[in-house]
Amino acid sequence: MPGVVVNIIIAVLVCWILFIAIDIIFKLPEKGGVSGAAAIGTAIAEERGSLNGGYMMGNIVCSPDASAGTLLAACGVFVAGIPGGLVAALLVYIGNRICHDPGYAGTTGALCATFVITGFGLIGVTPDAFIAGMVIAILTIQGMSHPYASHLLTKLWGMRA
Amino acid sequence: MIPVYICGIVAVYAVIRVVTEKKTLRKLVYLNVMNFAITGLIVLAIPDIMALFAGIAYFVGSTLEANAIASTFAGGVANE
Repeated sequence: MPGVVVNIIIAVLVCWILFIAIDIIFKLPEKGGVSGAAAIGTAIAEERGSLNGGYMMGNIVCSPDASAGTLLAACGVFVAGIPGGLVAALLVYIGNRICHDPGYAGTTGALCATFVITGFGLIGVTPDAFIAGMVIAILTIQGMSHPYASHLLTKLWGMRA
Repeated sequence: MIPVYICGIVAVYAVIRVVTEKKTLRKLVYLNVMNFAITGLIVLAIPDIMALFAGIAYFVGSTLEANAIASTFAGGVANE
C-alpha cells in the first residue's frame, strides 16, 4: 500500500514537470490558439487571474495538448506497452488536426510520455500510477484556483519568453 | 485500486465545481478536469485495447465539444 502511494507521488511530479515544460516550450501561454481559448483566457484574467496563464489554460481546454498526450500515453502504455503509447500519440495527432491546433504539443507530449512512463516502469513505477498522477497534476492546474494557477503559469512563461 | 479511487473522487469533485461555477467559460475548465478523470476511469476499469480506443475517442470528442462551445461564446465562425 505505501509503495502505491509513493509511486503516485512520483508520477504526479514527473507528469506535472513534463506537461508544463512541453506546453511552455510550444508557447501555449503566448496566445489563444483558437478564438475559444482566447475567450477562456480573458475570462480567467477578469477574475483576478493572469492573461498568459489563462491563455495556456484555455489552450489546454480547447485542444489535446501535452497534458492530454501524457494522460493518453499513460493509458496506452497501461493497456499495451510502447505500441499502445504510439497508438495514443497517433490519435492525439488526429485530434489536434480536428481541433485546428497549429502546434504539435499534444503529439510531442504523448511520444515523450510513452518513453518516460516505460522507463519509470523499469524501476517499478507502474503506468496506472501515471494515469492517477496525470489526473492529479491537471487538477492542480485547472481545477483548484484559476487565479493562482494562471499567475504561476505566467511566471513560468516569463522564464521562457 | 487506489488510482481508480483517485480518478473517481477527482471526477465527482470536478462535477461539483462545474455545477457551482457561474461563468460558462470557466465551467469548461473544470469540465476539462472531469474529462481527464473519466478517461482515466474508462481505461483503468477495462484494461483492453478497445477500451483504450473508447477512452481516447471520448477524450478527443469532449475536447472538440469544449472547443466548439468556447468558440461559439467567443463569437463563432465570424470571429475566427
